[in-house]
Amino acid sequence: MTNLSPFDIQARPNRLLAQALSAVLFVVCIGLYMQTSIARHRENPEDRVVPSGHQLLAGVRSAVLEPAEEDDYIAPDNASTWERLRHSMIWKDTASSGKRFFISLGLLIPFVVLAVHIGLFPWFGAGFLRFFLFFDKIVALSLLPILFIAFGIDEWSKIALIVIGVAPTMILDVTQMVKAVPQEQIVKAFTLDANNFDVAYRVVFRQVMPQVINSLRLNLKPMMLFLFAGEMIAASDGLAYRIAIMRRHMGMDVILPYVLWVALLLFLIDFSLRTINRRLHPWFQA
Amino acid sequence: MQSKRLGIVSLLACSLTLLVGSLNAVTADAQAPTFTVGWSVYAGWNPYFYMQKSGILKKWADKYGIAIKVQRFDYAASLDSFVAKNIDACAMTNMEALDMPAAAGVDSTAIIVGDYSNGNDAVLVRDNLTFQTLPGKPIMLVQKTVSEYLLERGMVLNGQQSQLGKLHLINTSDADIVAAFLNNRSNQAVVTWKPLVSQIVADKSVHSIFDSSKIPGEILDLMVVRTEVLNTPNGQKFAKALTAAWYETIQQVAAGQSNALKYSAAASGDSVESYKEQLRTTALFASPKSAVDFADGTDVQKKMDLVRQFCFTHGLLGQGIHSVDDVAIAYPNGTVQGNKARVRLRFNSAYMQAAEQGKL
Repeated sequence: MTNLSPFDIQARPNRLLAQALSAVLFVVCIGLYMQTSIARHRENPEDRVVPSGHQLLAGVRSAVLEPAEEDDYIAPDNASTWERLRHSMIWKDTASSGKRFFISLGLLIPFVVLAVHIGLFPWFGAGFLRFFLFFDKIVALSLLPILFIAFGIDEWSKIALIVIGVAPTMILDVTQMVKAVPQEQIVKAFTLDANNFDVAYRVVFRQVMPQVINSLRLNLKPMMLFLFAGEMIAASDGLAYRIAIMRRHMGMDVILPYVLWVALLLFLIDFSLRTINRRLHPWFQA
Repeated sequence: MQSKRLGIVSLLACSLTLLVGSLNAVTADAQAPTFTVGWSVYAGWNPYFYMQKSGILKKWADKYGIAIKVQRFDYAASLDSFVAKNIDACAMTNMEALDMPAAAGVDSTAIIVGDYSNGNDAVLVRDNLTFQTLPGKPIMLVQKTVSEYLLERGMVLNGQQSQLGKLHLINTSDADIVAAFLNNRSNQAVVTWKPLVSQIVADKSVHSIFDSSKIPGEILDLMVVRTEVLNTPNGQKFAKALTAAWYETIQQVAAGQSNALKYSAAASGDSVESYKEQLRTTALFASPKSAVDFADGTDVQKKMDLVRQFCFTHGLLGQGIHSVDDVAIAYPNGTVQGNKARVRLRFNSAYMQAAEQGKL
């Protein structure tokens, strides 16, 4: 007999029950949405604020199969689905947002390396730590006018916004991890004739790596937030650009699928980082 | 045991809040019926702030035995609230009246035609760009608003219709457009509205090549009420009180009464000087007669036709709308633009007419 008490730490729902329980909140949300949508459509059949399933489907179809409005591309009559997909609105927006996202992700790598140095080499620590402690508290969004001067309004200001927003937090986080590596290990490595860089990269960096990846996973959402902020302020393509444009005329039928799509993309990036972490560092338990 | 007690306490708290909430609702019902008007910062709408502060609105509301609340919003938020039916009336342009509430199936009626933009919106360029050389250059603007409409009209009126597809638009938030444009000399063109226009042309290297005074009467500023509200007896009182208060207010503003100007300027945080400058490029229909003449004329239909075609070709009427006629507009003289069975936006001059005849 399964123990059904929710306040018993020893109680464990069986597999089926656990699956069902984790589905409950999803079902409740979908149910509430549908109820609201149906109620609003009963009152106003053309309601666009809470689109019906039918409207959502049409929205998804136009996002996935039709080119963005500003594009000149007209699909030939016999175009295959793949052909249409490759010229579609969502493809174009995902590609341009994805490019910005991954460039900023790449730009974070040197900062992680710097953080290892800050945590390990006292001279680096003296030079950088206080600055980043201060800079971490700066609200990057309020610096926008300066970013516009320095980076223009094209790609680089958006990428800079992400990097400036996320890098200081990452640096402080990684510095903490480096400092948490037991001093005995470092001393031991030196006694085994390791040089400074052996210690930094082969002893410390290697062992904080899985934590760094986990920290990055937690920072994916702030990165996306900054990307969205940048694209909503000035852009001519991108996922958040489309959402901003659609909001002008309440195109919730396209916005909702876009929001879910972004959630899925973030989940996939997070999932692949987790998988990579597990493959590369099977010894790491957390 | 502890957790159970906690649960009971929170349950009690919840039900208490509910109870208080419903009590509030009951007492509110017992009072005069309340209506809410939303407005946002714009030269032609700032007087709503004065209307409320000066007590003019309350005077008229009391006369009709109702209560009217006035609430300031960001423009986009005011439209969202109106479409979501959280507010009963809202100040908006003719374009948004068509592509927000009307296209979303919320039957709406414009009861006051307040003014039209007569230079408030402008296309500004650097480096002596012209409409001939504009295509291909980055143009900053808030897309899908009257700014984009103005730009397209400028292109068309300058014989560049065929080049419309080559315009390279950068959607820029109005909160940042001044800083983003001025801070970088490689930005060559921007379309925006006052007072942002005034801030940008303060830079001597920028000048205007087109503004809304070249398309008079196409960018209208309206007071829009939900038709279902207007169709109730109390709703009609609301419309009457609002219209009466508006004309009393706007005549004071037009006459340059100092308090009226001071409060209207303060509504957007502008100086009185700057507000007066904005009023010069705003063609106010200060007398109800001028507004009625405009709304009852045929000119307004021609201008609305340009606007609705623009909205349709830019997909602003929504994914499900396959013909421009599916969001039809009805005019005071009975003309309907579009499918008669699908009238969503109505111009109603009856209240302005009553104001003209002093029957309010």
